[in-house]
Amino acid sequence: MDIVDRWLLPDGIEDILPEEARKLELMRRKLLDQFDSWGYEYVIPPMVEFLDSLLTGTGHDLDLKTFKVTDLVSGRMMGIRADMTPQVARMDAHSLNRPGPVRLCYSGTALHSQADNMLASRTPIKVGAELFGDTGPGGDLEIVSLMIESLRAVQVEAINIELGDVSIFRYLIELTDLDQRSQDVLFGLVQRKAMAELATVLSDLELEPGLASMLVALPGLCGDESVLEKSRQMFTDHPQILARLDNLIWITQALRERFADIEFYYDLSELRGYNYHTGIVFAAYVGKSGAAVAKGGRYDHVGEVFGRARGATGFDIQLNQLAREVGVMPIAPMRVLATPNEGATEASRWQFIRSLREQGYTVVESGELPGSFDFELVFQDTEWQLRPVDPS
Amino acid sequence: MKEQITLALTKGSRALVPSLSLLADIGVEPLEDISSSRKLVFPTNQENLRLMILRGMDVATYVEHGIADLGMAGNDVLLEHGGGGYYEPLDLGILKCQVMVAGLADEGVLPPRLRIATKFVNIAKRYYAEKGAQVDIIKLYGAMELAPVTGLAHRIVDIVETGDTLKANGLVPMDFIVDISTRLIVNKISLKTRFAELQPLIEALEKATS
Repeated sequence: MDIVDRWLLPDGIEDILPEEARKLELMRRKLLDQFDSWGYEYVIPPMVEFLDSLLTGTGHDLDLKTFKVTDLVSGRMMGIRADMTPQVARMDAHSLNRPGPVRLCYSGTALHSQADNMLASRTPIKVGAELFGDTGPGGDLEIVSLMIESLRAVQVEAINIELGDVSIFRYLIELTDLDQRSQDVLFGLVQRKAMAELATVLSDLELEPGLASMLVALPGLCGDESVLEKSRQMFTDHPQILARLDNLIWITQALRERFADIEFYYDLSELRGYNYHTGIVFAAYVGKSGAAVAKGGRYDHVGEVFGRARGATGFDIQLNQLAREVGVMPIAPMRVLATPNEGATEASRWQFIRSLREQGYTVVESGELPGSFDFELVFQDTEWQLRPVDPS
Repeated sequence: MKEQITLALTKGSRALVPSLSLLADIGVEPLEDISSSRKLVFPTNQENLRLMILRGMDVATYVEHGIADLGMAGNDVLLEHGGGGYYEPLDLGILKCQVMVAGLADEGVLPPRLRIATKFVNIAKRYYAEKGAQVDIIKLYGAMELAPVTGLAHRIVDIVETGDTLKANGLVPMDFIVDISTRLIVNKISLKTRFAELQPLIEALEKATS
């Protein structure tokens, strides 16, 4: 490595410098305080664990994203977490094993071997909340509400919420009775909303016309609330789908009453996290660029591999991304420079500095004026005083 | 005022002329002559819509990152780009052609492991992987036909429209890979957050092409 390259960081790996780091940390604390006031208990999942427990029930995408190392003690493969949700699900199912609903939250850095896209961080800082043991729509309503309230707690404005339900596509695809390869093709086409190709492929597969027409229509079932009613009419012969739609309508109505000023968007073909989600999926888009800062959904079967199938729903917020979208800077406290100076005892000086810090001032004991200081500590007229620093 | 919708078009008169005539069909006209200007962004007669003129591959990249909300690009470009981040709701049915394998008419006996020259590296890789054939890919940026003639590669994977260029260089089309036409692509987040603005435009284009 050339000497000039020694500062170079790998792709998608970043330093977070003081100003940004301060903002990020303040946001993290506010989010965790919010979770706490909703009864979510904080847990700290480990950085690495055996690959088996990290990846079971989560699907191929997470496998590709996970950095792997050999554990020299056991000889087994370990993974550095690419997502904390499976870890928290393991804690609920195995480590805690409590009856009734369990509410857990966490924060920490994950590591991705492949970035989500060209510009995404490979070390996303995630803050998330998970609700276990609640299978009803009330649980989903609670989690979506918590996501919205949390974003508001960090002064996010202009929130767009997207709601969908992956079980509708899953139900239809199971009706087709196709092999895995054809299912994957249909999945890709629906996810890309490639309607023309979807129609061609479906007619080649010679599906029952009613079923084919429902699959063709699915990618178009997106937009405002009217989509739900339209979908009800389309799937009128399929009570399972109607039940899912009614679930979504119930949540929507409650959310509308709770959050009158938020825009909701519906997409019944949004298949994000299809491998492990089992019901409603949702995401929050904020700011002018509409970045997806928070995502979540229901994943009822992940706990099964740890010996306990439980209702589970939750979300996580990508803190680095959120910090980019939120302009508000925390107000920096007043900064005081207190270089040693003559005139009074060290004890009295020390007492004064302590009281300043208690009052919320930031006091440092070495530095150069004017720097970023608001005041200088001086001993004048027999007492310690703050003298304003002339910024020029 | 709300931000304008940005529609990215592929530059070069071959792609631009049919794209603009399709837009004219739905009442969208650029306010100045794109072909005689060196600018890259053009206002239109629709106050909330502007056009951005980019290379095909860049259309996909700009739409993927949401700088452009919509784009028109050939699915050769989309298959090669391979990125997510956008929907492909419409086949606009213009600029139809095919991606094919071509080689010398008298290529004689070839070795089991072929060298393939192409600018569509990903499409070629996927095609041969699905066929179960191990090949070496050579990325070129133009004049593909020269590669088999000069011995740089055994065969090429390239766009075939009429077959005239192949013929003029002593090449023949061999295997069909995929049909190409121009697609409308839409940034996923734009569709989710600006659905009411984008949907009328998408529907109008759908009507104009069906």
